Amino acid sequence: MSDRSADILPVRQSMGGISDQLTGIPLHFPVERRWLIAMLFASLLLLMLMVSVVVLFAEGVGIWGINIPVNWAFAIHNYVWWLGIGHAGTLISALLLLTQSEWRNSLNRFAETMTLFAVVCAGIYPVLHLGRPWYIYWMFPYPATMDVWPQFRSPLEWDIWAVLTYLTVSFAFWYTGLIPDLAAARDRATKRSWQIFFGITSLGWRGSAAHWQRWSQAYRLTAGLAVPLVVSVHSEVSLLFASGQIPGWHSTIFPPYFVLGAAFSGFAVVSIIAVSLRSWFGLYNLVTDDHLDLLGMVLLATGLMTAYGYVFEVFDALYSGDAHELQTLADRLTGAYAWTYWGAIIFNFIPLQALWWREVRRTGWALLLISIAVAIGMWLERYMILVTSLYRDFLVSSWSKFTPTFWDWSTYFGTIGLFLVPFLIAIRVIPLISIFETEELLHEEKEKTHG
Amino acid sequence: MVERVYGLLAEFDSPEALTAAARKARDAGYRRLDAFTPFPVEGLARILRLPRPTISWAGLIGGFSGGGFALLMQCYTNYDFPLNVGGRPLYALSAFAVVMFELTILFSALSMIIAMLWQNGLPRLNYPLFAAKRFHLASKDRFFLCIGAEDEKYDEEQTSAFLQQAGASSVELVPQ
Amino acid sequence: MKSRRPQIDGDGGGPRLWSGLEELSNDAAFQAWVDAEYPTAAEFGPTARRQFLKLMGASFALAGLAGCEKSPFVAAFPYVDQPQSETVGLPRYYATALTFDGYAQPVIATTYSGRPTKLDGNPDHPVTKGRSDVFMQAAVLGLYDPDRAQGPTRHGEPTTWMDVTAAISTLRQDWAGDQGEGLRLLTGPTSSPTFQHQLDALRKQFPKMRVHLHEAAGEAARRTSTAAVYGQPLDMRYVLEQADVLVSFDDDFLGPGPNQVRNARSWASSRRRSSDRPGMHLHAAESVPSATGAVASSRLIADASRMARLAEALASKLGVGGATAGDLTPTEQSWVETIAKACGSARERALVTSGPLGDVGTAIWVARINETLNSAGRCLQFMQPITGPADAGTLKALVADMRVGKVHTLVIIGCNPAYTAPGGLGFAEALKQTRSTLHVGLQRDETGELCEWQLPLAHELESWSDARAVDGTASIIQPTIIPFYDVRSVHQIMAMLLGEIDPAADAAVRETWKSAFGDDFDGRWRQALHDGFVEGAAPAVSATVSSTAAPSARSAAGEGLDIVFRPDPTVWDGSFANIGWLQELPKPLTTLTWGNVIAVSPALAKRLDVVNGDHVELAIGDRNLVGPTWIMPGQAENTVAVFLGYGRSQAGRVGNQLGYDAYRIRPIDQPWLAKGSLRKTDGSETLAVTQLHHRMEGFDFVREVTAEHPTLPKADTPTSLYPPWPSSKNAWGMVIDLDLCIGCNACVAACTAENNVPVVGKEQVSVGREMHWLRIARYYTGDVETPRSFFQPVPCMHCEQAPCEMGCPVHATTHSPEGVNQMVYNRCIGTRTCSSFCPYKVRRFNFYDFRAPPDSPTHAAHNPDVTVRSRGVMEKCTYCTQRIEAAHATADKENRPLREGDVVTACQAACPTKAIVFGNINDPNSEVSRLRRDGRHYVLLEELGTRPRTTYLARWRDDDGGQG
Repeated sequence: MSDRSADILPVRQSMGGISDQLTGIPLHFPVERRWLIAMLFASLLLLMLMVSVVVLFAEGVGIWGINIPVNWAFAIHNYVWWLGIGHAGTLISALLLLTQSEWRNSLNRFAETMTLFAVVCAGIYPVLHLGRPWYIYWMFPYPATMDVWPQFRSPLEWDIWAVLTYLTVSFAFWYTGLIPDLAAARDRATKRSWQIFFGITSLGWRGSAAHWQRWSQAYRLTAGLAVPLVVSVHSEVSLLFASGQIPGWHSTIFPPYFVLGAAFSGFAVVSIIAVSLRSWFGLYNLVTDDHLDLLGMVLLATGLMTAYGYVFEVFDALYSGDAHELQTLADRLTGAYAWTYWGAIIFNFIPLQALWWREVRRTGWALLLISIAVAIGMWLERYMILVTSLYRDFLVSSWSKFTPTFWDWSTYFGTIGLFLVPFLIAIRVIPLISIFETEELLHEEKEKTHG
Repeated sequence: MVERVYGLLAEFDSPEALTAAARKARDAGYRRLDAFTPFPVEGLARILRLPRPTISWAGLIGGFSGGGFALLMQCYTNYDFPLNVGGRPLYALSAFAVVMFELTILFSALSMIIAMLWQNGLPRLNYPLFAAKRFHLASKDRFFLCIGAEDEKYDEEQTSAFLQQAGASSVELVPQ
Repeated sequence: MKSRRPQIDGDGGGPRLWSGLEELSNDAAFQAWVDAEYPTAAEFGPTARRQFLKLMGASFALAGLAGCEKSPFVAAFPYVDQPQSETVGLPRYYATALTFDGYAQPVIATTYSGRPTKLDGNPDHPVTKGRSDVFMQAAVLGLYDPDRAQGPTRHGEPTTWMDVTAAISTLRQDWAGDQGEGLRLLTGPTSSPTFQHQLDALRKQFPKMRVHLHEAAGEAARRTSTAAVYGQPLDMRYVLEQADVLVSFDDDFLGPGPNQVRNARSWASSRRRSSDRPGMHLHAAESVPSATGAVASSRLIADASRMARLAEALASKLGVGGATAGDLTPTEQSWVETIAKACGSARERALVTSGPLGDVGTAIWVARINETLNSAGRCLQFMQPITGPADAGTLKALVADMRVGKVHTLVIIGCNPAYTAPGGLGFAEALKQTRSTLHVGLQRDETGELCEWQLPLAHELESWSDARAVDGTASIIQPTIIPFYDVRSVHQIMAMLLGEIDPAADAAVRETWKSAFGDDFDGRWRQALHDGFVEGAAPAVSATVSSTAAPSARSAAGEGLDIVFRPDPTVWDGSFANIGWLQELPKPLTTLTWGNVIAVSPALAKRLDVVNGDHVELAIGDRNLVGPTWIMPGQAENTVAVFLGYGRSQAGRVGNQLGYDAYRIRPIDQPWLAKGSLRKTDGSETLAVTQLHHRMEGFDFVREVTAEHPTLPKADTPTSLYPPWPSSKNAWGMVIDLDLCIGCNACVAACTAENNVPVVGKEQVSVGREMHWLRIARYYTGDVETPRSFFQPVPCMHCEQAPCEMGCPVHATTHSPEGVNQMVYNRCIGTRTCSSFCPYKVRRFNFYDFRAPPDSPTHAAHNPDVTVRSRGVMEKCTYCTQRIEAAHATADKENRPLREGDVVTACQAACPTKAIVFGNINDPNSEVSRLRRDGRHYVLLEELGTRPRTTYLARWRDDDGGQG
């Protein structure tokens, strides 16, 4: 892809121009009104989450639709969904950094930002879904009065470590990349308050050559670590299911299946954000149609890989010939929750096919709609994987059903607020596209064009 | 006139000009050189003879200590309070591998970033150069070369003249 | 207060529960509180919501009481000075008895610090031999029922026993006036010698007084049929140990009832195969699927009114005089021939029975067959009726007299005619025409509500009395706790009627037995109290079919569907309606809880175009009712089953307004079998069932062996990657013999009582949150018209390689060295991973705080050795770990190793057929190891390699034709 980067950015623009344009967004916020409306909407969702959580903690998880056998539902599958979304941010900035795909430079900043808050949304679920959330700290190894330690063979225990590691590393990576831009913003800032804010957050960065050298090494190496981290984290999430013997879960395809699905949904959300931000702030010169084109390609690719996962899952069940696996397969295709299965298929893969056409990939609204479809589709997929396996497991006598309650939904939509509010704040206060990297890219392009 | 001086700051308007000037300065025998750019400029480090950074070592050490710590922690907890969990072995290395991997990454990444900041002497919010009038452009689209006052070849007139004819668009005296 | 009475009366319960009832009345504050506390309640429909409030209310009743006066119950609790003889924490055991339809159910009551917490059968008693049924297991909760009448009331106003005594003395003057002409006693069935004595004494005082007996369910039907057949009312005893072939015509002798434990025990002993004995073959013709049909070797599906025809056909095959073969369908033909052959060869070792609830025609043919087979007197024995009172009039006669004003005083003892009398009888209206009415009962129920006086009865666990078991063996009932309400035993009240002032609790009983025991009274009395019974069963009497007994077949005249009435399997005739344990106990075959249904055949359902839960209107004559449908696989096409015991308005907060009231349409003369019609009406409801899917779907959860292939193919246990963990000396294991399980739920009830399993209520059950640690999975195979039914008790499997344990992140569930899969409640944080990973789904989760409030009396029923689980905690079968530990302690004290039989789990102890065996699998000589070597032994879901400790013995399949 790096060959494409020759024309990824329009060359006819000055570095200073970019710097002013991008630092200008936080400093002289262009779309105050639209931002406020969005913020209001997001805060209402967040409020709903708070109410739901208060009720939840007061009453217990009984307010949800869960039962025996379906004693995991929204909490866990939304957790998986959010975490999956988060992964795309890391993949874009880390993986593409390593592969020298400069086109990432216009996307990585808000992609990473998205990652952070998506992981936060995911992170609250393991706490909320506990029967006794106030004892969450028992999952950490500390010399307890009970003398008992955590149980390190449990996928949930793995998860806690994985998610916390992921959150920390993503944050560190994001902030490291942000320092030079904070410095830039500091230098552009005119208001005292902004100068202080950026002055402190930029840690006194001055762009010294020696600093740049160490910074680059640290940044690239961290990126190198972040990629396997992403893979490991979502593989572990998949083990949450695959470690159990429940038909429909107990399969070796799960780790790659989950990781790809995660990337798929994540890139969808990245596209959503990219398209909306560029139209919000008129960043057509930085997030170009070529960017959308590339995003579309990645989306298509990951989508097809996820589709492979679906195919293999079916094959897996048929090939195993195991009666219970076949039963679960039948339940998925025709059972009470078949709508989740076919819903996932339709939303994930039907609109996706439009991305084979270059024009579609390059039109913002089309990409936006497709991405939204994918986000919904992946949500349905997580629902399907969880509920269709649990509601009818081995013993017929324990077969049951699951119906989400109001509180299931309010908690879920609430987390969307939990995602949007900090994200909106972030685009309000930090340069949402990496300034120096864009400048660097622009410079390189100029080099090339000058010969 | 200021009594104590940090150095002379020369401004260039392209990375190429900067690197050229830097090379001249080295040839002229200047040693206390530093460059300030909006983004990393290739080759600059070589010209300025900067030492190869040692971040990777920090990462390596961090990684090993993280993995080791995880393994010891998990083995110790099972040694300290052995319990039969579903007939699985006490020291289930296959299961422990997961947390080991996570902590390897965590420690490694954090130690590298901390090492980077430490070696860069950051955070340091005040710095003499910030006093320079045009230095704020170093984060925008200007490229600066600074010759430190401690350099034994440093002489205010000569050095600034040198920088002028090296192509600097402006040369500024930075007080300590 | 006054202003609120209407609401309270509307809501039912005793008037002493003022503030308890305020909570129930539509008090805005309380509503708000409930909304805050139980948001899901807000989503219930109006009815659901009301029931939710009621259920909560039951546990709050005591809180309510505290509002107006200190609860005597709470006051009765703490030891200020610990009694010399008492060690807190150590149980004491009392041999006593409860009564069920008048028959004694001999029990051993476990009490802690003077509180009975658990009842089990009396192991020395000839009838139960330590076994029990659901009613016995749940009775202890009835003792602590906050809705019991807690003191005498007049017109619903609290009053004192002084006033009662005064009132009775004035009444006695009236009675003396007309020698008791206008005095009537209406009593439920009783077998108490003391009661009989007091009755005789009362008769002496008032010669013209008359006694009437009203029995809503139970053996009354048997008496009518025996009277018709043998010319005298009789009690029957099936001596199944003697029988090789058993034929049942709509006789669910293994089903619930006073005889269940005895029948199940003897059936099991002759069903159990041994080298010398093939095991009894049971052939059942039935209209409504039952436990008996489910375990039968061959089963014929026929409408209730067809039984007489079938019986006659069998009779003619066996050469009974006067019997004609008649016209039979091919299926019926072949079935009759098969069993005719079987009976023919077995002769006197064959027994044919007909259900007490069936028609007389069947009973007559059955009786003749037994005489021809010569099994009467061997497999079938007769006794003079155990319950009485003898020569009592009927309810019908009483009502007639009341109508014409012949009755001025009516004393109702231990029955609830206002609810259980057939609707057509109009008892309630007749009661209004009676001047003085006294209701003597545990509760101020529908009848107490209408009577002038409500005299609260002491629970049998807190009173002195006596009663006779089904075999006539008498038990002396001794109190296991001092009455904690202001109540009197039935004998004290009878004594008051006899003119005594404040009689002693045990005076009358001692009086009775003085004469019986003669000299050395003290010795024999103490012995009787210690043993829990007095040696000596009722003598068998001989009976022959009376010549006058005309086999008027097809006696159930009229056209239309056969409507059969059945007592409810868990609340019986409604007297157990307010016991939460029984309400939440899944009914066999349907797994329905908290209500009753109108059971129809699949074909009829198709005709009516209804599905489970749809409302249908059932009409008999001019009376009708509306209830939810239940499609019963294997029910006879034109037979409709309705169940008694529901639709109560004064049962208490647990039992009110559940289901429909079948008594309303019950015919007066044919109480069990009538003709009627059914039609679909609009409306439907969700039924709270614990198992949604019953077809086995081709899996082999329940396996079978045949005489040809008596052993299952040995599956090699999947190998494990891991080295085995060392086991300690004892390795606990359980084997369940599916050939002996009759799905009676006694084990589930026992487990609930032993392990403080909470009651969660109808709404929670219908969303799949029931808490039973042990479920009886019920499956059927074959088509829905003629299925074969299977029962499979599923407790925790205690897998040696438990997936659940691996899933827990905090070590809250781990393995004990003895191989028990332990649940550490106080460590559990409620991730529910264990349940997700459990292939058997035997784990239960506290989705809410299901505990009763701190001052609820039900806490007194808790087993102090078992933690009461809080919200957000997983729980499951522990193999009764508290019993294991207790056994260890005893063994250590006597410093000896544990022996076989030291540990008996609650389910094992309760099981009437001994289908559950528990023990040490490391000991090759233990019963459980022997069974694990048996050819029928298999492991549920063995392919998963979880290596369960709980395993099963396959069912014997004898292909004797019939329909499943």
